[in-house]
Amino acid sequence: MDNQYIEKMLSKMDKDLSKHGMSRRDAMKMAGLSGAGLFMGTTTGISAEEEKIVKSNAKGKIVIVGGGLAGMSTAARLKLKMTDPDITVIEPGELSVSYQPGQTLVAGGIWDEDDIAYKRDDFVPDGVKLIKERAVFFNPQENQLTTDKGQVVTYDYLIVAMGLQLDFERIKGLEEAGRALSAGDNKKLLNALGDDGICSIYTAKGATKTWEQMQKYIAQAKSGKKTKFVFTHPSTPIKCGGAPKKIVYLTNARLKEAGARDNAELTFYPNGGAMFGVPEYHDAIVGQFKRENIKYHYRHNLIEVDKENKIAVFDAKWQEKGPWDPVMKDFEVIPKHEKVRVPYDFLHVAPAQIAPREIAESDLGSAKGWVPVNKETLQHIRYENVFSLGDVAQVPMGKTGGSVRKQYKVLVDNLIALMDGKKLEAKYAGYTVCPLITDIGTVMLAEFDWTVKPTPSFPLDPTVERWMWWLMKIYALKPMTVYGMLVTGRA
Amino acid sequence: MKKVVLSMLVASIGLIASEGTVPYKAGLLLPIQADKIYAQECATCHGTDGKQTSFSGFPSSIVYSKIAGMDAETLAKTIKEYRGGVASKDYQPLNKYGYGAAMKAPTRDLSWDEIDAVAKYISGLK
Repeated sequence: MDNQYIEKMLSKMDKDLSKHGMSRRDAMKMAGLSGAGLFMGTTTGISAEEEKIVKSNAKGKIVIVGGGLAGMSTAARLKLKMTDPDITVIEPGELSVSYQPGQTLVAGGIWDEDDIAYKRDDFVPDGVKLIKERAVFFNPQENQLTTDKGQVVTYDYLIVAMGLQLDFERIKGLEEAGRALSAGDNKKLLNALGDDGICSIYTAKGATKTWEQMQKYIAQAKSGKKTKFVFTHPSTPIKCGGAPKKIVYLTNARLKEAGARDNAELTFYPNGGAMFGVPEYHDAIVGQFKRENIKYHYRHNLIEVDKENKIAVFDAKWQEKGPWDPVMKDFEVIPKHEKVRVPYDFLHVAPAQIAPREIAESDLGSAKGWVPVNKETLQHIRYENVFSLGDVAQVPMGKTGGSVRKQYKVLVDNLIALMDGKKLEAKYAGYTVCPLITDIGTVMLAEFDWTVKPTPSFPLDPTVERWMWWLMKIYALKPMTVYGMLVTGRA
Repeated sequence: MKKVVLSMLVASIGLIASEGTVPYKAGLLLPIQADKIYAQECATCHGTDGKQTSFSGFPSSIVYSKIAGMDAETLAKTIKEYRGGVASKDYQPLNKYGYGAAMKAPTRDLSWDEIDAVAKYISGLK
């Protein structure tokens, strides 16, 4: 932990604040108040009224598959909203509730892995049964599933919260990495990535490794050698769409701090054709890239890594104007693509991400593997007693902890309504949030929903990078998530 | 008659056994069980002993070498090539002797270490 840096940042902050006639205490109070507002799950962030809880007497066996943030906080909230619920959580991973949003901070050398490791067994709500096995076969017609140890579990209501898998094995040259989950020792993955500049913050162990590799290549740049830092963004939906950019910014910040930025070339290769789905945030990010002299090339998808020669191979796509089409009365548009070979010293891989195969191939999954739910009520489109949330749910833009914080309340309200024989009235509106770290000490709080417009919780320009959001990211969001959602089910 | 009863008895014992056993499937990130992968993905064409050399289930009957006892490393390399990449257009699987499509289906969901394990298993078939 870089206490010195934080101290420096804080003293710089004090200086900035005193110019505005404000003490750090006042500022922290403000940030703390915002944090408290978020604790209560209010959208304005200012009113911190205690939520009124009406408990339901509904009966029925509820099984939650997956005990990560989504599954476990749903269990906590069901406990809060029901008098005597019958809840079973199926989760084999010991560190399933670890705080994944902190992985960027671990990779940036700001936190340690210990700061984000949380044990499943410490967060099972009282009275909730835990099965430490993996659900592998699903039979929704019969309302039952089978675990990897052969245990058959029946249910009245099922909540699928199994998350997603990191599909490193589709990249040629990294096949032996296999598919990974973000928690766990991930030895196979780390061995496959090796010790020669390839890294990924998408696992907890990988985040630590990223910090090691980053320091190594910053030192190389500092020694005077021109050093190429290459960053990717895959072609599939991913959890935390901001993370591939956050690691760019953190690397940039650490290079500047080391006085090595001039020898480094930073290039971002996203598969898509924009930085962000929301135009306002896209423009802001492009501005930040220009200001920091970070290069970017759209429509590049990483397909191969030549570890020996340190070359990343991308499939680059573009369109060309073709011949005149007399029927359509316009020119044809011809899609083209070619392999582009990019030498790297340091390569950050944001892997393709897929639904677990056991879901994809069961009757619960869609053609793409995700669990198809009504995106507003989170109820399965075919099985009315099945709900899904979190990364595995087929919900647009929904793969963040910030989305889960809205989804789990909607899901719990609707499940209880269904159990009580009432109409499903709670609706998720697609809210998600990306606290985009743009430097050590600043964050752009990109909040938005399916309207694809910024939906700021605070009366401040959301496209501006602020130290206050940095403080929130560093101090407030983790306790809000861990204690607000997992422990109390209230945040 | 005796034979029929006996075979029914054997079948029902089989059912009971399968209910009590641990379910397994490749590609689910479970601890690898090479014998089960072989039984599920390979045995239909290659036989439980790896010595079957023809199959008539395809539109035309096909023939091939026996695989039992082959070198594990060669087997693993070939199966990986048959499997190819998962998604990329530029990463075509092997189509040796025209068996690309037939070999792609059973291998596509296997991870690299599952392939290594099953290759070792085939190599060990006597």
